Amino acid sequence: MLRYIVRRVLWGVALLFLVSAVIFLIFYVFPSADPAKLRAGRQANPQLIEQIRDQLGLSDPYLEQFARYMTQVFTPFDWFGAAAHGGTGPLNFGRSFQSNTPVSEIIYERLPATALLVAGAVVFWLLMGLPVGIISAVKRRSALDRTTMVTSLALISAPVFWLGLVALYLFASDVGLIHVFPGIGSYLDADSFWAKCWSLFLPWLVLAAATAAIYARYLRSSLIDVMSEDYIRTARAKGVSEGNVIMRHGVRSAITPIVTLLGLDVGLLLAGNAILTESVFNIPGVGREIVVAINRSDLPLIQGIVLFGAFFIVTFNLIVDIAYAYLDPRVRYR
Amino acid sequence: MRLTMFRLLLPAVLLVALVGVLSSCGGGDDEGGGEESAGIPSDFKAPTAAPDNAKEGGTLTILNEGDIDYMDPGAAYYQVTYMVTLATQRSLMGWPPDATQPVPDLAADQPQVTDGGKTITFTIRDGIKYSPPVDRDVTSADVKYAIERSLLPGVPNGYTAAYLGDLEGFKEAEQQVAKDKTTAPDISGIETPDDKTLVLHLTRSSSIPVIQALSLPVSAPVPEEYAKEFDAETPSTYGEHVTFTGPYMVKNDSSGELTGYTPGKEIEIVRNPNWDGDATGDFRPAYVDEINIQEGFSDPTSAAQKILDGDSQINGDFPPSKTIVQKVATGQEFSKDQLVAVPSGGNRYIALNTQKPPFDDINVRKAVIASSDREALRNTRGGELFGPVATHFIPPLIPGFEEAGGLQGPDLDFLANPNGDPKVAEKYMKAAGFKSGECEGSDCDITMVGDDAPPGLDTATQFKGQLEDLGFDVTFQPVAHDIMYTKFCSVPAQEPQVCPNVGWVKDFNDPQSILQVPFSGDSINPSNNSNWPQLDDPKINKAIDQAVTITDEQQRAETWGKIDQDITALAPAVPWVWDNDVLVRSADVAGVANLFNGEWDLSYTSVGG
Repeated sequence: MLRYIVRRVLWGVALLFLVSAVIFLIFYVFPSADPAKLRAGRQANPQLIEQIRDQLGLSDPYLEQFARYMTQVFTPFDWFGAAAHGGTGPLNFGRSFQSNTPVSEIIYERLPATALLVAGAVVFWLLMGLPVGIISAVKRRSALDRTTMVTSLALISAPVFWLGLVALYLFASDVGLIHVFPGIGSYLDADSFWAKCWSLFLPWLVLAAATAAIYARYLRSSLIDVMSEDYIRTARAKGVSEGNVIMRHGVRSAITPIVTLLGLDVGLLLAGNAILTESVFNIPGVGREIVVAINRSDLPLIQGIVLFGAFFIVTFNLIVDIAYAYLDPRVRYR
Repeated sequence: MRLTMFRLLLPAVLLVALVGVLSSCGGGDDEGGGEESAGIPSDFKAPTAAPDNAKEGGTLTILNEGDIDYMDPGAAYYQVTYMVTLATQRSLMGWPPDATQPVPDLAADQPQVTDGGKTITFTIRDGIKYSPPVDRDVTSADVKYAIERSLLPGVPNGYTAAYLGDLEGFKEAEQQVAKDKTTAPDISGIETPDDKTLVLHLTRSSSIPVIQALSLPVSAPVPEEYAKEFDAETPSTYGEHVTFTGPYMVKNDSSGELTGYTPGKEIEIVRNPNWDGDATGDFRPAYVDEINIQEGFSDPTSAAQKILDGDSQINGDFPPSKTIVQKVATGQEFSKDQLVAVPSGGNRYIALNTQKPPFDDINVRKAVIASSDREALRNTRGGELFGPVATHFIPPLIPGFEEAGGLQGPDLDFLANPNGDPKVAEKYMKAAGFKSGECEGSDCDITMVGDDAPPGLDTATQFKGQLEDLGFDVTFQPVAHDIMYTKFCSVPAQEPQVCPNVGWVKDFNDPQSILQVPFSGDSINPSNNSNWPQLDDPKINKAIDQAVTITDEQQRAETWGKIDQDITALAPAVPWVWDNDVLVRSADVAGVANLFNGEWDLSYTSVGG
């Protein structure tokens, strides 16, 4: 198992390198807007723009810029002019072209909001999706099963930003019809941890809705397959109670695809996939920040957030695979 | 097609509804000066003075969509950033809310102009102190340093060269910076004979625009001994350690690092403990104790609704949506005075590339303008409240506006009808050689690059249809706003035939700041160009160059008004609106708007009323 983990970590590092290269190609080599011109402002003369381009290190050859960035992220050395362009590393992701704030500072500042949003949403979608999936599988083709599956289809189909706006206009304490939950921007006003949690209640529900629906459908399908296996029949024949048959034998096997999904979903959300929810509710998280960064061609910030995101996805995939081995004794890694 | 028709009709429907409601308000007339000339009905005129019973104390919250551009006053250039700088910095000249000309702020009095307008002398007020941790009195050397550091590439100032370039020694200072990019150069034309006196020597008599430009944040004092180490970084990090002289400051720690500014998230503004408005002759009353700017409100409808429903809130950089405007205008759900409009001092126009066929032919340009339904274009912004239909380029409240023709505009047939005049368009197309009266041939295959999001997208789509009615075959490329400028419209070599989403906001209340950069051939740049039509007419260039040095106010207004008429007559662009800023506030906010930047004035607005 240890060898497996080490091998996966090394592959993870290689993957992060590859992701960095691709992002660099997309945003530095084929940029949308020109960050030097944006920073220079309107009516700046060409000399000023070139001076700014030089200052930002954008007039160096692409390979040198990429090598410098990798040096700053992974090493403490002053190679390729690292010290002169944002400082040495490791874990130095450069400075935002727009605000000149260190990228790592921006990400660390925004990560807690995204992490809290994702954590709460995970709890909700597991609490909602798993029981619904189990009940639907056990009471297959009943009225309850049909209702839950139709509802889940509707929730999967509804765009999350639409769901968010509807939720706000129905239940937000500031703009809603029924003043129940804190409204848009309430996260910014929250001082304590519990106040922040309360401000995220509606976003949690919105973010969890579609995922809970997906998990319910997956678990239902998986459990239906598992419950027709021979060992389930054997367990029943041995006199195991139906509850134990379902939970200890059925769900334990059926839940493995859910574990994979969970790892991917959490990784993706932490990487910035919660952007629509963050935008609708004005939660200052990583997802919203990357949209702003892309619109402003803030290249170091784009690169930094994507790298962080890739790190989370790689990490959570590894956690999922380890959890797999625990859940399914047949799975052994070498 | 149906969707296009629906989207074209919807603003008109809303406009009819809004006009119907507004007309029942007993609105003001559109003639005359002041805000009436900006087409703002009296029910929606923004207050520009605090009420007599304005309350002290409390916290004001501002909801913003985006961030300010720069906290560093040397680089700040957005109108919404001026909301912060007007409250936190004292420039040499300042802008009380109802001022149409700058008044002395850091300066003790109006400057003395001598030597035929080539020497300007300021006296700095006594007792103005920097906020902690600098904690000392401001001197004239600080203003000199503030101007000089704005030449550094690490302090990306967009207007110093344009308006202060006539300072003696300016060109030499630029050359110094080219060699040493981390040390502020010395501009020999700025002298400080003592701590309270600042003398500016100009190469020509351009004192009026220079004094006006010194009302911008670039002249907010910067202590060299404190800022030097930050300016030595590339780019400068002074923006993270700004020191303040106004009634308010951004929260900081004992080292001066701004702890209250998280870019893209929020700005916490508190009282400046070293400010004494009475002792230092500050016109700002500064009612509220704290100001919180919250950023990231990407949906203007829900954000405006939150303000209208909530407490102690105002909008910042986003206008309320048409839905909200209609809601408030009916007066059923909210009090009508929670929504006001104020002239922004800006215009919007559609640039026609005068260097590329077919728009290198003045008759084709005139035909396009004649056929344009400029009212429909204006309505894509939201209707009458968002500004009157433009007939030339100098906006209301700027000297030269009336001289250029006022709301009616100059006597030009191709601009006479705001809804378009097909007959006049046909006449000009025939004069251009198109016998059918419509565009024909390969020159009529044109490209237009515009915004990919409303309302710019709506404007571009509307105009595309109007061009197609005249026979043009339009390829429309919607792109992100920044890409539109940095890759296409502001790069002359890449600029398409039409840039539909351009415009200019005054830098200060002088017509030079509206006309010089956007229409002088001398200001065409190979990149970051703002003369979008690429107009390069020798007569206009000469007239502009000469008008810069006029020192008599009335003569200036007349001369620049004439220049505006001449530019308009050359038909380089389709002027379609003089923008109003539409502002919303919570019911308990006594909001005061500043005519300078068309935003709420944080030093005059109070809460708890």
